[in-house]
Formats: sequence, C-alpha cells, structure tokens
Amino acid sequence: MSMTAEDLIRFIRDELNVEDDIDAETELFSTGVLDSVAMMNIIGFVEEKAEIEVRPADVTLENFDTCKRIVDYARDQA
Amino acid sequence: MNATGDASMWRLLANNLPQHADQVALIDAKRQASYAQVTDEAGLVAGWLAAKGIQPGDRVIVHLRKGIDEVTAMFGAWKIGAVVVNVNHQWTPAQLSYVAHDCRARAAILGANVLKGLAADPLPLSLEHLLVQGRVAALPDSATLWEAVSPSAAIEHVPDAGDLAAIIYTSGSTGKPKGVMLSHRNIRMGAISVSEYLGLAQDDRLLSVLPYSFDAGLNQLTDAFLMGATVIHQPVSMPSEVVRMAADHQATTIAGVPPLWNQVVRYLADSGTALPALRRVTNTGGKIPPNILQMMPQVFPGVDIYLMYGLTEAFRSTYLPPAKFAAKMGSIGRGIPNAQIFVVKHGEGVAGPGEQGELVHGGPLVSLGYWERPELTAEKIRVLPELRDHLGDAPVVCSGDLVRVDDDGDLWFVSRMDDMIKTQGFRLSPTEVEDILSQSGIVTDVVAFGVDDDDAGQVVHVAACLIGDAETPALLAHCRRAMAHYMVPRHIHAWQGAMPRTASGKLDRPNIIAATKAAHQKDAT
Repeated sequence: MSMTAEDLIRFIRDELNVEDDIDAETELFSTGVLDSVAMMNIIGFVEEKAEIEVRPADVTLENFDTCKRIVDYARDQA
Repeated sequence: MNATGDASMWRLLANNLPQHADQVALIDAKRQASYAQVTDEAGLVAGWLAAKGIQPGDRVIVHLRKGIDEVTAMFGAWKIGAVVVNVNHQWTPAQLSYVAHDCRARAAILGANVLKGLAADPLPLSLEHLLVQGRVAALPDSATLWEAVSPSAAIEHVPDAGDLAAIIYTSGSTGKPKGVMLSHRNIRMGAISVSEYLGLAQDDRLLSVLPYSFDAGLNQLTDAFLMGATVIHQPVSMPSEVVRMAADHQATTIAGVPPLWNQVVRYLADSGTALPALRRVTNTGGKIPPNILQMMPQVFPGVDIYLMYGLTEAFRSTYLPPAKFAAKMGSIGRGIPNAQIFVVKHGEGVAGPGEQGELVHGGPLVSLGYWERPELTAEKIRVLPELRDHLGDAPVVCSGDLVRVDDDGDLWFVSRMDDMIKTQGFRLSPTEVEDILSQSGIVTDVVAFGVDDDDAGQVVHVAACLIGDAETPALLAHCRRAMAHYMVPRHIHAWQGAMPRTASGKLDRPNIIAATKAAHQKDAT
C-alpha cells in the first residue's frame, strides 16, 4: 500500500496534535517541530502504512526530516 | 577559583576569563562560541533585562531550543541575580503559560515560533517583557527582537550562595507541574561533585542532548563550565544525528536517558559506527533495559559506562563507578561526592546489607523545596528520627524510591514505593517483571502493574510494545519459562505505537497504566 505526504501530514496533525502549519517540505526534526517520541510514532506509522521495515540506521534527517523525504524513502524501500 | 559552592552561577561562566577566554565553550550545528564570546553575549542579555528593570530574585523564563542563545539567556539572567526558569522547549503553550503564572515571571526569552500558540494560552499580565529570538511577522508591543538588543551596562549582582538561582518544573505524573527551587550552591555543588567522579578535564567535549530544563542536562553544562571544557549542542535526539554530531566533533562524553540509549545502542549495533574520541557515557533518569545494558560494552569498547541516579529535589544523588559495570549492571551504586545517601527502614532505622528501604538524600545538594508549596515541601524534605545519630536535625529528601542494599553497600532500584504489586502474599517489584520481559528480546518498552483481584489481592498486568511481528502469546510463553508462578502476568496488553513519556524522558507510567486499564475494562464488558 502506498503512503502519501498528505497521509503523513494528517497523521502528524491529528495523531501527534501538532498545531503548526505543516506542508510536505516543512522540516520536522531539525527545527524542533517534532521530538524523539513523535519520531517513534512516525516510524510506527510508516512501517504500518507503507508496509516496510525501517532500519535504525536509516532514521536520519536525510530520510525523515520532511514528509516528502519520508515518502521518497518509503517508496525506495518498498 | 571555580571549585567552590560559595559563589554565583554567573561566576561559573565568568571565572573562565581571562585564562580560558579563547577556549571553545559551546558548539552549535551552525556556529561556535568561545568563553569570551559567551560571556559577552550573556552580558547583552543581562543589559536588556537590567534596562527593563528586572531585579535580583525576579523570575525570568527561558524557553528556547537547545543552543548557544539558550545558554547566554540563562547566564544573562544570572548575571543580574535573576532566577532562571528554563521551560522545556517541547512543552506546549498551555504548559508555558501555566509555569509563567505559577512562578509570576516578569520576563521571558523565547522563540518566535512560540508567540502564535500563546494567542490561546496567554502569558500573565505580570510578565511585562519579552525577548524574542527568530523571525516574527508581528511583534507584540512588550517584545524586543533578540537581534535588536543594544549593548547596555549590567552590574553583576553578587548573591548569597544559598539564594534561589533556578526553578526546575517537573511534569509530575499526577497533578500540575511543580517547581523545584535550586540555590546557586545546589547547582555549583552538583557540578563540583559530578565533574569529580567523572574525572572531567578542560580538554573534554561533552555532547549535550538532554534539555537544560532537566537537572541532569543542566548539570552537564555546569560541569563543563566548571572545568573550562566544551559543550556540543545536539537539539535533535534522532540516534543517527546524535552519533553523527558526536563523531564530527570528537565528543568525549555523552549523557543520555534510557529511551535515548535504547535507540543509540541499537543504532550503533546496526551501523557499526565507531566513536574513537569517546571516553565515557552516562545514564540517568531510570533503568536501561537489561538487553540494552548488555550490548553497551560492545558498542562502546573501552568507554567508561556510568549509571547514575538523581532526584530533581536533591539535584544528583548516586552513581555506579564504571569498574563495577560488568559485575553490577543495573545497580545505581552509592552516593556521589558531597551527597549523604541513606536507605531508611521507616520506624526502624538504617537498612544494612541485604535489606530494603527508602532512599533518602541529605547534605548540600538538597534543594530549597517546591516553589510556594510549603506543605508539599514539608512532606518531601523532612527530618527523619531514624537518622538522628547520623545527621542530627538536618532534613533529607525522601525519594519515594524503594532500593535494596547489596553485600558491598551498593544500591539497587526496586520500585517506586507506591508501585509495589502485592500478589498471592508476595510483594513484587514491577521492575523485576519488566526486566524479565525485556530479556525476551521481542519488546521495547514494558510497564508492569497490579490490578485488584478478589482471590490474589492483586494480579500482574503488563503493557508492552512488541517488536515487529511478535505477538503476546510468544511473550507469555517466555514469562512462563522465565518467571516464578506468581510473577507471570494475568494479561499482556499489546501497546500500539510508542508509549508516552514525561519531559525528562521517563515512561509516563500513571498514564500508560490508566489507559491500559481503561482499554481492558472496555474489552471485558
């Protein structure tokens, strides 16, 4: 099953209760919008939604800092 | 001389001049600052506060992302004798507003991103002055932009070492956050004690991930300033980024809490990254699960591993020397230098080898109590008749933690005193159950708790985050093999997603237990 940036934005807004305006390019971790607990939740969501397994070494800002990067990463893993 | 408790927080920074003026004090991802620069920039903040009429003893909120500016904001306030109230950057506008009201702050130094959220949860009227860091569309009348602060003189205030220096708000698992009051002496003695047993020196480079709003995080910064060493800031707690920052800047020391070590150790085992400059790692804020502890000597070869324990109300309390790590993995060791740690059997006396009791803490690290909560302070910090022969009428912090004393006098955390499970006539520590569950290798976070039962008194329930495709029957099978019969959980609840944590990174047990019990009752009806 595929996962879109909109899916992620909705998850961050509704499940993680982030009130900031977020789009696919918003930097989430490097700017402090999200913390490590939120990161664990996002990894869980990505694993379930995109049906992939996220290796610890893949959890980098390069792969996870924006919704677009997460979607690209998940697509490459599928 | 920096190594005395009887001086101010400002002197902790300023006494690095002139001899360490050019030494790098702080490193951010985008810039670094020498001791001379940090002193100058803190002086600018002090000048702004003084110009706004902030007096010694006034509370100043600092609510910034981890970085050089956050440090200069704190020391600027200390220069003029103000009280620093550092509010965790991850806290919500509602929590920030609560703290601002509770401590009756007169000024706040915060990031521009916070302003918008304050529309719904406004700051109190007593808070007249805002210093705003970052870009902002519309600046409130009462606010000054960080970049626009012009140099103005601030006279150094010389406080009594026992005066209030900082209030640390702890997000208690129950009720509203309460403020722990720390004196200049408390914080300085903490730095002297910890840097002594860690053996820190001027050439150390400390990676700071833990927030400065948390006692252990603040302690790292003060240790470094005491020694004229360097702090590397890493505001992103993603394991890959923590490791990259440590490698890029040759960190010699990393301080973490269990959820961070859980991730960093797994990351290092997976990636094989080496950190050759690393000399020591430290843990505080709870127990690292046994399976992660066992991996630590492999992912940190030749590195000293310090397991520490602290109560915000007494700043820092015990540590296990690294030489004992292999033999006593999981022990919290003994009192740090200058702390007087006792294990008390209430109504009886001091616990000896093989006995259990409450860990209590006396001496110069004991805080001034809770901000404007005298009843709560009297409950937590009091004179114990059991210790009259040792401490006379000096009060101690009662931790609420049950610990066991081993034959060598080292301490082992058993449980929170009010978390003990009483089942089938046995008194059972949730930690004991959780450790065995962790050893299964198929769970990350686990919480065990007692549920009232007509036959057994209580029975054990468990909430667990299962790894990958693991299922609860497999975990239960592991329990039946590895546990005494009375310990085996009656129910294991698979927890979806990550468990909630407090601001200091501890599992938010009361919330996890309440949510699990509620879900269980719903299923049962």
